[in-house]
Amino acid sequence: MQSRRFTLVMAAVAFIFFSFVSVAAIAQEAPKSIKIGASISLTGRFAAGGIDVADGYKLAVKHVNDKGGILVKQFNKKIPVELIIYDDESDPSKTVTRLEKLNAEKVVAYLGEFASDMNIAGLGIAEKNKIPWVGVTIAVENVFNQGFKYIFGPNMFSFMEVAAFLDALDKIPESQRPKKIANFELQVDWGKECTKYLHEYAKKRGYTIALEKKFAPDTKDFSSMIMAAKSEGCDAVFAVPTPPQSMALIKQMKELDYAPKATCFVRGPDLSNFWQVMGKDANYIMTSGEWTPDMPYPGNKQLVADYRKLNPNKLMGMPVGNGYSAFQVLADAISRAEKLDRDSIRQALTTTNIVTVKGKVTFDKRGVGNVPHVLAQWQNGELVVIVSPDYKTAPVLVATPWSKRK
Amino acid sequence: MVERKKGLVIAAVVIVALALVPLFTGREYVFSILCMLFLYVTLSQSWNILGGYTGQINVGQAAFFGMGALVARLLWVAGAPFYLSILAGGLSSVILAIIIGLPALKLRGHYFAIGTLAVATIAQITVGNILPGISFLPAQQMATYSLIPRYYVFLIIMAAALAAIYITVNSRVGLGMEATRDDEEAAQMVGVNTFKYKMIAFVISSFFAGLAGGGFAYFNASYYWYLPFTLMWCFEPILIVFIGGVGSFLGPVIGSVCYVLLKELFALTLGEANLLIFGIVFILTILFFPKGIIGLPAKLRQLFYRRGNVVGR
Repeated sequence: MQSRRFTLVMAAVAFIFFSFVSVAAIAQEAPKSIKIGASISLTGRFAAGGIDVADGYKLAVKHVNDKGGILVKQFNKKIPVELIIYDDESDPSKTVTRLEKLNAEKVVAYLGEFASDMNIAGLGIAEKNKIPWVGVTIAVENVFNQGFKYIFGPNMFSFMEVAAFLDALDKIPESQRPKKIANFELQVDWGKECTKYLHEYAKKRGYTIALEKKFAPDTKDFSSMIMAAKSEGCDAVFAVPTPPQSMALIKQMKELDYAPKATCFVRGPDLSNFWQVMGKDANYIMTSGEWTPDMPYPGNKQLVADYRKLNPNKLMGMPVGNGYSAFQVLADAISRAEKLDRDSIRQALTTTNIVTVKGKVTFDKRGVGNVPHVLAQWQNGELVVIVSPDYKTAPVLVATPWSKRK
Repeated sequence: MVERKKGLVIAAVVIVALALVPLFTGREYVFSILCMLFLYVTLSQSWNILGGYTGQINVGQAAFFGMGALVARLLWVAGAPFYLSILAGGLSSVILAIIIGLPALKLRGHYFAIGTLAVATIAQITVGNILPGISFLPAQQMATYSLIPRYYVFLIIMAAALAAIYITVNSRVGLGMEATRDDEEAAQMVGVNTFKYKMIAFVISSFFAGLAGGGFAYFNASYYWYLPFTLMWCFEPILIVFIGGVGSFLGPVIGSVCYVLLKELFALTLGEANLLIFGIVFILTILFFPKGIIGLPAKLRQLFYRRGNVVGR
């Protein structure tokens, strides 16, 4: 009787032991993929930039998966990445629901979007859900002063854009160098931040802000601003308009025969369709050069070659490389996190130090990216880098009057 | 009368069932979609009482929605209880409606529509210029953010809007509104104070649009201040009401279900093609079912009846 009871107890102990062992084994089983999510404007008014960003992500994921995926130490193996992209139709309300959908699908991290409206709606959700969010083109520094922990911006910020613009002016020979800057301030916090830094840096570097005009995000007629800059004798213009506004501004400047020596529109001319839309009128326009196809950083040649193979008739816009670089930053963090949980990935992101296709990326305590300050200029159909801290760049071309352009 | 009671019982059961949803799921995605659904039901229903029942085409609903969002967010972030902030948002929209309504409701037809669109555009530009920045929730509120209270806020606002509008349109006031819509001059001839009914409809409409805006402000963690004033909030309620059925109580509800849930389903499964499909569906609805989906059974009955007659002959 006793031996029977002993046998039963032993059987029960063995059952419990093996149950635990098998549960532990299941728990250690690697997932089939690492899920990363993004809500991007693939349709609607921001689609041009959104598609570029998505193309960059897809190519980066392909390159990682071609090598077997990301090595995750927890499972001691490479796991392929599954990128889930939903279209938010350029509607911030949809960004919110799409990101919640991605949360339900258990993504380990979010990748950012092209346009600010969507990014602003999205990063709040990321912070709420405690999911690391790696942005692409979020240039507003103020966002990072809110004490958020899960938001990272591996891109140029307003203060870097202003500094790069003034660096470009410095490169122009003294005899031709513009001195009087017209600042067209977009009435959003990015525009306000740029104005703040433009005043601060211009004064230190011997430039004068001779004219300041504000405009709203939906302004279409800039003629009064342009005429004011012309009559004030401003020989440089700085602005961060929306992409359609940058096109309208250049057209109206041509109509009003205003050709300052240097014109920098940080947003718009950096998109792949800009030259196609503007043609030769895009010449001499400076823009964000955060990433260009001719950058000498590792992996960039392969990115450009593969993109051109996939899109033979399309020019590569800056957001393609920025998207690619953002994914490199995230993949590096996942690999260093050693685990596939969101907090470990966030922790790893804080210690990022990686050279991506657009140069070295680190973050400060707020999540603000420290990246090379770069500016580019359209020169005969090519977007060439004119300012970079890392390598020799092309000379800055001074714009000629509209009447003298062929 | 029996039909009406049956309808009320069904509505009560649906509301109670929706109130029990958080007991059965904790999925935030479900809550976020349902929050959007309730918001659009409220907003489209609020448009319908003025546009559908009273015949005054308001193309400036964003001004009232945005005003509610602005006031509610400012008060809430400043430390006021969220329910009082949302209520204040609704009341501020009413004040705006009275200020605008006194001159604007004397306009008729297209002029009223153009006037309201102008108000919405002015409001968007003004807010964009005065508050160009982002509204963030303070870190403390962000740390305790949960969708469940937001879900109940939207549900309560929607239930209140449905109840208030149902009671109004089934009362003498509702008759006055319909008389104004059907023939304003004839109504005036028989002694109906059409301006009064238009104003009542405008006040109710803007109050619930303002409450929906307050819900939006409570729901979103971060957004540009001008976002609730964008013209999207003017056109989407109109689209929804036309899909569901103008001037019917259930039309905006059905339209919202189609617009939010079906569109979400299409967007997730069909990708970018969903916009094309939804656009075609909308055009076909307007062309062949001018009374919206709510008019579909009657239209089908009519078709079958005609065919039956032809066969019978």
